[in-house]
Amino acid sequence: MKLYAYCVTEELPAGSVDSMPGIDGAQSFLIQSGNLAAVVSAVDVERIDVTREHVLGHERVVRGLLSMTTPLPFRFGTVVDEPELRSYLESHHSSILSQLERVRGCVEMSVKVIWDLERIKREASEMEEAEDPHGQHQATNQSGTAFLAAKKREIEGASLLKERGEAVATWLMECLGDSVRDAVMNVQPSQPLVLAAAHLVERGQLEEYRAALGSAREARNELHFLTSGPWPPYSFTNINS
Amino acid sequence: MVRSKLIEPSPEVPLPVAPEIDTLHAEEFVEELRCVADTLPPRINLDAQSVEQGLAKLVLTLIEFIRRLLEKQAIRRMEGGDLSPEQIEQLGLALMKLEEKMQELKAQFGLAEEELNLDLGPIGRLV
Repeated sequence: MKLYAYCVTEELPAGSVDSMPGIDGAQSFLIQSGNLAAVVSAVDVERIDVTREHVLGHERVVRGLLSMTTPLPFRFGTVVDEPELRSYLESHHSSILSQLERVRGCVEMSVKVIWDLERIKREASEMEEAEDPHGQHQATNQSGTAFLAAKKREIEGASLLKERGEAVATWLMECLGDSVRDAVMNVQPSQPLVLAAAHLVERGQLEEYRAALGSAREARNELHFLTSGPWPPYSFTNINS
Repeated sequence: MVRSKLIEPSPEVPLPVAPEIDTLHAEEFVEELRCVADTLPPRINLDAQSVEQGLAKLVLTLIEFIRRLLEKQAIRRMEGGDLSPEQIEQLGLALMKLEEKMQELKAQFGLAEEELNLDLGPIGRLV
């Protein structure tokens, strides 16, 4: 029998996942290994297709656990044998416990930021023009010297974008202050979606976090925000390796 | 198979409600997130053609990485003043031809510019 693995947790009451239907409505149950428990359900396939129903089934179980404790979610689509799962839990016992300790009592909050990339590029270009008023870059494309000059501007432009993108991430972290226990930030300065941040927030700090985030959003009208959560700590978990 | 110990959630710790999503720019984010989803790798398919393309992608990514390093090094040397105008011209032409060749190879294997990259986990992306 194959098992679909949802997450790993510490102690749980017996029967606590009985009312949580998972993938394809299958009954969830616990596999115990020492003081760890994996939440699983039986599947009869080797591979779970990525469909809305399956993703929601996975999320339903992990979220159900989140209302009782802070689980370490497996990546969507993790299908294993029971001996394989037991072996994994035993051999990674201390690493899993450390990760549980890291996220204990927390939830993940997500912030995505879109900036006006065209405006930022225009500003960068204007700065370059100011620094290079003679416009060396007007030389023909057939010239090796012009090619290098154009590359230089391209690299400087990318560097300026990177600085600005990282400044957005740093500014946001400063605004959120101590309300965030940990953060994972993905800065993509060459894209309109410049920042995708995951914040690990203690449940008791959620109000403070939301207030700080609200103030930050008001302070920077030129940035467009999408905030979401609370989520299980997917970005702070590494139990699939 | 079933656990036995009961843990009571601490009364000071509020339980999370359903996730909330908040934005004033929903359409803009939907479009951007759709672009991100489109660039996610599909499941690995080990047929001969996909293996060949995967290998080409890996090799071209490494060449692209080295090509960019060479460009940066050439610019450093140009700015450092240790190259004559003729040498700068020759170096620039060589790098220009290398870039053209890379464009040809990418087209041949049907690879877009943004595909030539490697996610190195916590230390970011290669290119």
